Amino acid sequence: MAVAAPLEAASREGSPGERPPGEPRLVGYLYLLPAFVVFAGFVLYPLYRAAYISLWDWDGLTAGTWAGFDNYAEVFTDEDLRAAFVHALILLLFYAVLPLLIGLALAGVMARARVRGLAFFRAVLFLPQVVAMVVVALMWKMIYQPTDGALNRFLGWFGIEGRSWLGDFNLALPSVGLVGTYVYFGLAMVLLTAGVQKIPTSLYDAARVDGAGPFREFLAVTLPGLRGEIAVALTLTTIYALRNFDLVYITTSGGPGNATSVPAFQVFSRAFESGQVGSAAAVGITLTVIIFIISLGINRIAERST
Amino acid sequence: MKAKSVLAAVLALSALAGCGGAPGGGDEDKAAATPSATAEAKPDISKAGNVTLRVWDQNVRGGQNAEIEELNKQFQAKYPNVTIERTKKSFEDLLKTVKLAASGDDAPDVIQVNQGRGTMGEIVKAGLLRPVDDYAKVYDWESRYSSTLLDLNRFSSDGAEFGSGELYGLSQMGEIVGVFYNKDKVTTPPTTLTEFEASLQQAKDAGDTPIMFGNLEKWPGIHNFESVLGQTADKQAIRDFVFAREGASFDNPEFQAGATKIKEWVDKGYFNKDFNGTDYDPAWQSFAKGDSWYLIAGTWVTADLAEQMGDKVGFMLMPGQDPNAPVSLGGEDLPFTISSASKVPDVAAAYIDFLTDANAAKVLVDTNNLPAMKGAPTPSTGVSVEVAQAWQKLNDADGVIPYLDYTTPTFYDDISSAIQELLAGKQSPTEFTAGVQEAYDKWAESR
Amino acid sequence: MTSRAEQTLGYVILGVFSLIALLPIVGILFTALQDPDGVAAFGSLNGLHFENFKTAWEDGNFGSYLKSSIIVSVSVVFFATLFSILAGYAFGLMRFRGSTVLFYLFLLGLMVPTEAIIVPLYYDLRDLNLTNTYWALILPQIATSVAFGTYWMRTYFRTVPRSLVEAARLDGASTWFTLWRVLLPLARPAVLTMTVLLFMWTWNEFLLALVMVSDESLRTAPLGLSFFQGRNTSELSLMAAASVIVALPVVILYIFLQRHFIRGMLAGAVKG
Repeated sequence: MAVAAPLEAASREGSPGERPPGEPRLVGYLYLLPAFVVFAGFVLYPLYRAAYISLWDWDGLTAGTWAGFDNYAEVFTDEDLRAAFVHALILLLFYAVLPLLIGLALAGVMARARVRGLAFFRAVLFLPQVVAMVVVALMWKMIYQPTDGALNRFLGWFGIEGRSWLGDFNLALPSVGLVGTYVYFGLAMVLLTAGVQKIPTSLYDAARVDGAGPFREFLAVTLPGLRGEIAVALTLTTIYALRNFDLVYITTSGGPGNATSVPAFQVFSRAFESGQVGSAAAVGITLTVIIFIISLGINRIAERST
Repeated sequence: MKAKSVLAAVLALSALAGCGGAPGGGDEDKAAATPSATAEAKPDISKAGNVTLRVWDQNVRGGQNAEIEELNKQFQAKYPNVTIERTKKSFEDLLKTVKLAASGDDAPDVIQVNQGRGTMGEIVKAGLLRPVDDYAKVYDWESRYSSTLLDLNRFSSDGAEFGSGELYGLSQMGEIVGVFYNKDKVTTPPTTLTEFEASLQQAKDAGDTPIMFGNLEKWPGIHNFESVLGQTADKQAIRDFVFAREGASFDNPEFQAGATKIKEWVDKGYFNKDFNGTDYDPAWQSFAKGDSWYLIAGTWVTADLAEQMGDKVGFMLMPGQDPNAPVSLGGEDLPFTISSASKVPDVAAAYIDFLTDANAAKVLVDTNNLPAMKGAPTPSTGVSVEVAQAWQKLNDADGVIPYLDYTTPTFYDDISSAIQELLAGKQSPTEFTAGVQEAYDKWAESR
Repeated sequence: MTSRAEQTLGYVILGVFSLIALLPIVGILFTALQDPDGVAAFGSLNGLHFENFKTAWEDGNFGSYLKSSIIVSVSVVFFATLFSILAGYAFGLMRFRGSTVLFYLFLLGLMVPTEAIIVPLYYDLRDLNLTNTYWALILPQIATSVAFGTYWMRTYFRTVPRSLVEAARLDGASTWFTLWRVLLPLARPAVLTMTVLLFMWTWNEFLLALVMVSDESLRTAPLGLSFFQGRNTSELSLMAAASVIVALPVVILYIFLQRHFIRGMLAGAVKG
């Protein structure tokens, strides 16, 4: 639910440990106390507990038995689980990469031409993120309906035969992914257009003096200038992609077969439907580690290319 | 340095939190709940004081919703001191949330719980349901049902044995998964599988959709597949498998034949081609509008089909090898059970009694539902007559086979996903039976 | 000249994608207004049947769901905002041992998905008899919100001119007074943006509400909608009307405060 940009932003700003003004003040602990107590009690402690439970084979009802790292081994050996993680990585393309490309295309154009009324467009582009994911999911379920869904009717105007978007093994995952693209392309576009306006025009002038065409200008000036924004957009959308639960729960329940099953959905169904609580905790922890690694990775790369 | 400090903090925290025992370790006393008091006489509900009875049921479709609403109204009129607080959820949503609801001290008093090892077995094992044998004696419930139907709601109190042991609830409605047909399109209903297939081909040749099928929710595939399976495999072999009896198997030639047959139907275009992406409810509504000749569905849609199609809808058992020995998927709907956390089990039992007595049977018939109780009045008009006759015929021939998803705790997911893959051609029939067998063995070994 | 063509291209891209963003939303509005007995198809408009909203509201028990959502969202936003301001103030303007490590812990919290902690949260809160209460929804969400809010407010307090704080101190103002009387009036935009974001996230939360609460009277709107659609998969116009009911509060808030919202999103993400 929360935003990940801070990690990136913080590292760019310099060390978060940079000295705050003023003298040392013990009273700081007091100010920190309420936030820390809730945070430790309902995020840190559960996280530790999750790691602990993940080492047990537990059905959630009767006493568990020690499993060591078996549940983690299962993440790699169990076909369903492995598939779920692969699906999550494929969804990254739709949630993160595709919106980024769309945003970059727009930023590339906007670097060379002023567009008025940007505030209005921003407001509209952001709208899908504001609408509850449950509603977005329902909306798209109706659009994807095979018999008289909006998409198939639209394609019908061009004589293209409709598809069973959510029911076809090969189409279901991309179809779910495109809903993610729908929600997040606005984020990427707004972030990148804002970023591109901050690039000093002198850099473009210099590039043009050197005889750079639009494409080289994009590569030489726009892209490096947007490094920070790209990292933020990627981090945010990556996290959203990996914790994707409600969308899958509502549209496909992981089907057809297991074609759209994702780790977040596996956590729910293992923990609360099929009584594999230890395994569910292991999946959740693995997911956290992956989010952690990818976020750090993105920001390392963004920093290095400075 | 950054990474180090984070790590240090995490380690410090885990040290603080200390180490505990096995999760769930302190809960052993909860398991195998026995009723705190055994009922010996019919309790007088009108003297129970003001009571709120919280009920979770899955009767969301028109005719079934009407039936429950009517009976709830009558029950509250009979006992003005009782208020029923009803939560209705679709079958799928109920299945996903029932374990969460049944756990905890404030579980609903009465819950409809799916039979079999996936749901009831797990909940019984955790001691979350109250056995109702004492009430069964007091209210003489055993005389209301055939023993076959009662046994479906039985489990040993450790959740290990399905089909015997304690009684945990009562079902209201009988269920047959059979074939509804549109009388405008099908003039003489087929009586054997061969005739049925010929009719499907005829529909196809006429450019119509032979069978309407909506499988987005995954579970409907179980019904279509098992309906066919009942015609290719021995009914006892299917029962043995579902009840996990010695020597039962899924990966055998007869079961493969069932898988091959239904895949053949898909390939020949006997189903609407988008079935895996179509919702269940829109599918039967599409049949009701005349979009297909047949619909393989449970009798729970009878009331709604009758309302929309009037006398145009017909019902038959799945045609098989021998018209005199029909085999059909079915049994009874989800039993109403009492949670062991309920503080008003007497009221809950009286409510369950009320939902399944002779008056209830009449209300069920009036709302085009199929009562599971013996000696229920027979309906006089419409498709319900055909449903009631089929029910009679099927029970006389002892042809009911239980739902496959009862088999193991994870079988609902295992089999429904596998069937979707079979139908979409992602698995061959032999891969399908072998894969399902493997899932079954995994459970059987750890048993 | 090329710039004119590029400007047009810019408008075309913006226009096309704005349209893509809007169409499904307009579609669901139209669907919600369809004749409930007519041939339902997503996105077509065949009348203005406002009674769909009434039917959905009554059948779906949405009055109760919205009430729960409001109770949970308002509590979470209020406490998370308060705690975040205090903690952000400490991290931003005070020096004390271990502040770096502690701050990193909060940052770590930003990356922990609900999926990772939902299992222990459920079982531990159940043992404390807290499942099926508003607490089970409120406390964990204050915790996740505080991770973001603390970061957010710390960032803000770091931008406050030091002279302001120094001046207050020289006047003998306590840290408490400085925070509420000197700094906070200036922080209004930052706080407002934070509350809008927190409200949106809390209102739309799904997994926690699915797992923690099974009592109908405590159910929040997104969950209510999910179960409502399970019961009414074939009633397109009702489902659409219910969807609009659930989405509307946040959308209205967004329309009024979108400038803050977007500025905040950009500032938080880019300025750091």
